[in-house]
Amino acid sequence: MENLYAALTSVKVLRCSVGQIFNSLANGIRADHGEEGRDTKFLSEIEELLNAVTHHLRDVEQAVNNLSQPPGPLTLGNTNFLSQECTQERQALYSQLVLSYKWTDKIHEYSNHAAALLSQNSLKRSYMNPGSAKRRRTQTSSHNVSPQAVDTVISAIDRQFNDMTMSISRPFATNAVLQVSLGRVLQAVIAFKGLMIEWVVVKGYGEAFDLWTDSRHKVFRKITENSHAAMLHFYSPTLPELAVRSFMTWFHSYITLFSEPCKKCGSHLHCALPPTWRDLRTLEPFHEECKL
Amino acid sequence: MDSKDWAQMPVCTAMDTLSSALKSNIIPNQEYLLQGSVLDSAVEVLLHRLRGLCDNVDTGPETFHDHEMCFSILNVESGTSPQPLLLRVRRALDYQDMPWQLRYIGQPEGTGDKSRPTIVRSSIDIGTTSAVVDFLTEMGCRMDFEYIVRGYMFRKGRMKITVSKIFKMGQGKPPESVEPISQSYLVELSVLAPSGQDAIAEDMKSFADQLRPLVILDKVDYKRLPMPIG
Amino acid sequence: MGVTILHQFPMLENRTGPQTIEFLTKRIVALGAVQMGQFLVDCDSYISMPSLGPQRTVHVLHNSEQPASVFSILETNTKTIPLVADGLFDLLMLKMTPIYTKKVAKIESKGPRFELADFCIKLGSVTISQNFKGVLVEVEYRPCVVPSNCVGLMREFLQGFLGSCVQSLPACLQNKMDEVYQPMDTIQQYLDHFLNFRKMAGYSG
Repeated sequence: MENLYAALTSVKVLRCSVGQIFNSLANGIRADHGEEGRDTKFLSEIEELLNAVTHHLRDVEQAVNNLSQPPGPLTLGNTNFLSQECTQERQALYSQLVLSYKWTDKIHEYSNHAAALLSQNSLKRSYMNPGSAKRRRTQTSSHNVSPQAVDTVISAIDRQFNDMTMSISRPFATNAVLQVSLGRVLQAVIAFKGLMIEWVVVKGYGEAFDLWTDSRHKVFRKITENSHAAMLHFYSPTLPELAVRSFMTWFHSYITLFSEPCKKCGSHLHCALPPTWRDLRTLEPFHEECKL
Repeated sequence: MDSKDWAQMPVCTAMDTLSSALKSNIIPNQEYLLQGSVLDSAVEVLLHRLRGLCDNVDTGPETFHDHEMCFSILNVESGTSPQPLLLRVRRALDYQDMPWQLRYIGQPEGTGDKSRPTIVRSSIDIGTTSAVVDFLTEMGCRMDFEYIVRGYMFRKGRMKITVSKIFKMGQGKPPESVEPISQSYLVELSVLAPSGQDAIAEDMKSFADQLRPLVILDKVDYKRLPMPIG
Repeated sequence: MGVTILHQFPMLENRTGPQTIEFLTKRIVALGAVQMGQFLVDCDSYISMPSLGPQRTVHVLHNSEQPASVFSILETNTKTIPLVADGLFDLLMLKMTPIYTKKVAKIESKGPRFELADFCIKLGSVTISQNFKGVLVEVEYRPCVVPSNCVGLMREFLQGFLGSCVQSLPACLQNKMDEVYQPMDTIQQYLDHFLNFRKMAGYSG
């Protein structure tokens, strides 16, 4: 056993000295070699190290020669039996493998779907036309619209619906924040960037108008989510006015939030919520669970 | 606390809450009051002085423009001397959507007592909806008089100082053309506190002394006035 | 404050008050409601002295949902006038005792309070001086403030858990269907039911 330890130590020492050689080779000529004859100094240092390596190598060979063949098989304790076990049930490997296989399969499937959907509906909110750099024309940007233009668009929409009142404020420089009251059903705060709708928060009648807190009612939190979906759906960079107008028309259909039953199941409530979804084209009310 | 525990917590009745508040004496139901008056010509000087003395120096005095109605209901069956129960309703004309104030005012004490520096009377201030006038009228209260009061309010710690002018109610006239009752301003120094805090009366007295001789604030005995105000 | 409907749940012969409450609790919990505390609505009635002329009654109600307010309703022969005031109004009524006296026993509705999504459901057992009189179920739909908007929805919800005994809307709501619902409207419904219970119990006033 002692021989074995000695051999291991000598291997360690050898590795150390080889490491040292590479280290000093990598460092090259250092400042402590001085100005005069530094090349020779460096060479002699390397030589010294190489000598040490050959010396240590000899030690290793000697130590290996001293080792004797192990008598009989090694006793490895319980690990010995690892190779003996071949019934898969006992190892509980199979079920885990199946599970991870299923997961990878699912991930593959989902990412395929996601990729397909994302390539269909381009949700990009800015211009990036890769590859068409040569025929770039000046495009109307929806982000960069004068406040007056925004005001006229919004007041035109305001006139269109008489049960929806709107007021514009500009707390953050030129970008408009629109407060909408839809009858006495709900209120919303809509933040614009130019003519692009950036954020929507829906609240109940009488709740505080602000952009940062959620409504205390579940219904309006749900409608906030749905408004975000609609905001992305209606977004169109080339016709920003139309996008805002369509969004507002869609949003206006919530005036019947509490009074109109779901088009599919015919009842008002599902999971204690009224129909919180409005079809994007027909504006018909549906429960979240009924819309598919 | 676990939500389960909270769900099982009993609710206490409003009366329990009120009586425990009464017991721990936290309801401000005593008014300490000093009154005086100053001629129109001298009011500017007084306002300057108050501005310097009071807390709200930076913002300047707060103005108010109120309509006050005084009601009484006679308690016939209370034995020998029927004392009318006095109630006042006050509303802000400049802030129409604020709650109206209904106020019960008890009999003034300490008017004749030299050792007490201020008048003390019990008082209950209650914010209400605007139906209160109808409510009182239908309850059987009679409106004795009403007036419009306009002026300034100052604060000094817990003390409230008002300098106000009283106008006659213009019957159908626009509120701008109401006629003043006199050529002077009413000055009132008051504190609303839970009962038994008589130390505040001394503070009021010393504050009133600082306003001399611009205005003399004192205990006014309504009963000894030649003509009762109301 | 959302639209609220108060409904009297009919008592069955073979069921006691606590059993009815337990029965309704089971139903509402099965729908997914969670208990959030208790509630209490109480009513004291003060009657004017005969010397004041025709009799008037001041009903003073408290609702644990609005703990800082006192609701009072004045009833004369011709009018009812509602008034909402601060908590100290109770103190004023005490000052009024010689003129307005308390002649009828206190009536109250008390019990568990549940929340289910945006609904708030209260199962109250009504007692007149500790004697059980009946069960009142209060359902509030908090997001909606105009009764006419959510009548259908409320009816559907009520029928869903109380059964077909739910028929018409409370009378006091019917002439203010398009107004914004106020806490006083809930109080008015409670008072209407309380007066009914009193009448059945044979109290005057």
